[in-house]
Amino acid sequence: MFHWLEKHPFFFAVAVFVTIAFAGLIEILPNFAEASRPVIGTKPYSTLELAGRHVYIKNSCNACHSQLVRPFKSETDRYGHYSLSGEYAYDRPFLWGSKRTGPDLMRVGNYRTTDWHENHMKDPAAVVPGSIMPAYPWLFKNTADIDTAYAEMVTVNKVFKTPYNEELPMADGSKATVKMAATLDEAHTDALEEAKVIAADMKDQDVKDAVAAGQIPEIVALIAYLNSLK
Amino acid sequence: MNKTVLAAIIVVIAMLGFTYVAVGGAGGMGGENDWVNKLAVLGAVVLVIVTAFVVTKYVRQMQFDRASGKLADENWDGIGEYKNELPFGWAVIFLGMTIWAIWYFLVGYPVNAYSQIGEYNEEVAAHDAKFEAQYANMDDATLKEMGGSIFIVQCAPCHGLQADGMDGKAANLNHRIAEASIKHVIQNGSNNQLLGMEMPMPDRNGLMNANTGALITDAEIDSVAKYVAGGMKGTAGADVFAGVCAACHGPDGKGMDMVAPNIAEFNPTLVANVLKHGKKGVIGQMPAFNNLTEVQVKALGAYVTGLSK
Repeated sequence: MFHWLEKHPFFFAVAVFVTIAFAGLIEILPNFAEASRPVIGTKPYSTLELAGRHVYIKNSCNACHSQLVRPFKSETDRYGHYSLSGEYAYDRPFLWGSKRTGPDLMRVGNYRTTDWHENHMKDPAAVVPGSIMPAYPWLFKNTADIDTAYAEMVTVNKVFKTPYNEELPMADGSKATVKMAATLDEAHTDALEEAKVIAADMKDQDVKDAVAAGQIPEIVALIAYLNSLK
Repeated sequence: MNKTVLAAIIVVIAMLGFTYVAVGGAGGMGGENDWVNKLAVLGAVVLVIVTAFVVTKYVRQMQFDRASGKLADENWDGIGEYKNELPFGWAVIFLGMTIWAIWYFLVGYPVNAYSQIGEYNEEVAAHDAKFEAQYANMDDATLKEMGGSIFIVQCAPCHGLQADGMDGKAANLNHRIAEASIKHVIQNGSNNQLLGMEMPMPDRNGLMNANTGALITDAEIDSVAKYVAGGMKGTAGADVFAGVCAACHGPDGKGMDMVAPNIAEFNPTLVANVLKHGKKGVIGQMPAFNNLTEVQVKALGAYVTGLSK
């Protein structure tokens, strides 16, 4: 058989490919499957958080901010525990970023608060002197797109079996459930409830008024998303 | 003389000439005592000559050598292979590699397997050990200096470089407590674990003025807030403080162990507890900072305590 293969270069190449590919699968797949399983304590995004994630993507935050803490002492001192692949289990797509013009945001929910984000988005240099980040005033005016967020939620639930409405184990031993609304109207109601909690900690009167009137400004969704990064 | 050898000699002479022009002429040798330069040039000359003759040898071999021996039966498009013995050195290396591969597969890799996280853990352990040894017994100045640099990284984004809270965006750490905060705490109560444990302070409906025998009034709140925020100087509000607050916070406002925190000044324990549990007040929420080491918390405590003195 080997003599035959040696005389037929095409099939020889195919045999080499199959052999190497098989070895690769055996080596890579089990580790990969293990590592990409959700880490205990990771939960899918809620409706408002997903809408905020869309705001994050829309404004290209990932062009300047990474979401990946590497295992170096200098990084873990500043940003917290290094990232694990399982923590991105519900990120579609992941937002690792490729460049840090601004700091990493992987765990920003641990050390920044709603009112800090509010001040910072209005005028970054007012809270971080010398910051080169531009202000994002339109986030306070534009309305978050809950429809798309809900559509994504339903899609990932259907296609990737993202566990909405299921009990998930948390790091402290408790259980948590992330709700997926049954209808679009219900999704809007849920998102508004979440938004009210965020808006209660905010200072901007226009934002408070908008939420009270049933609107969700983009900034509220974005802050909900940033607060969920832990 | 063979043409190839002639070409090699011409190339050598040309290159030596070029070397002489480039570095040898016009004092370019770097003077009488520059041995390093002379050795480098000598090395270049030797390299040129050796290269030329090695290349010549192989070119001649390709031109004139004819291989000989018994051909193998196998033949690929007219290209055959000799049935020569494997060179002894190769055989030894092959066997050696086989033994090494078995060792590597069973012992070498499993026992010495490298991982990024493993290297990270080692690096952190080594750094922590060095850090602890270096800063085991810090004097006050070093402690404050360390606290200052941690402050710039961890605290300044909210409290500002001057620790002034940047126009009310965070607590002003140059004063123990602001008037608005005092009013908020009296109105709403507080449970910020400043003592390191749950120890709720009641809201205004639980604050009795021992002097008047009645609940604290709006006017009294205003005057005591000014009094405490002003560093507990003067007489205005002092009577309210003595009647309402002193029972738990002490007559001087310096607090009591297990009862109430110090509201007259910062101290390292207070700072450590805020860092551990976070804090929620009139300005908003401060998150907990649990990623700091004990020494860093101590340093921050010393720094923040020093700010208001």
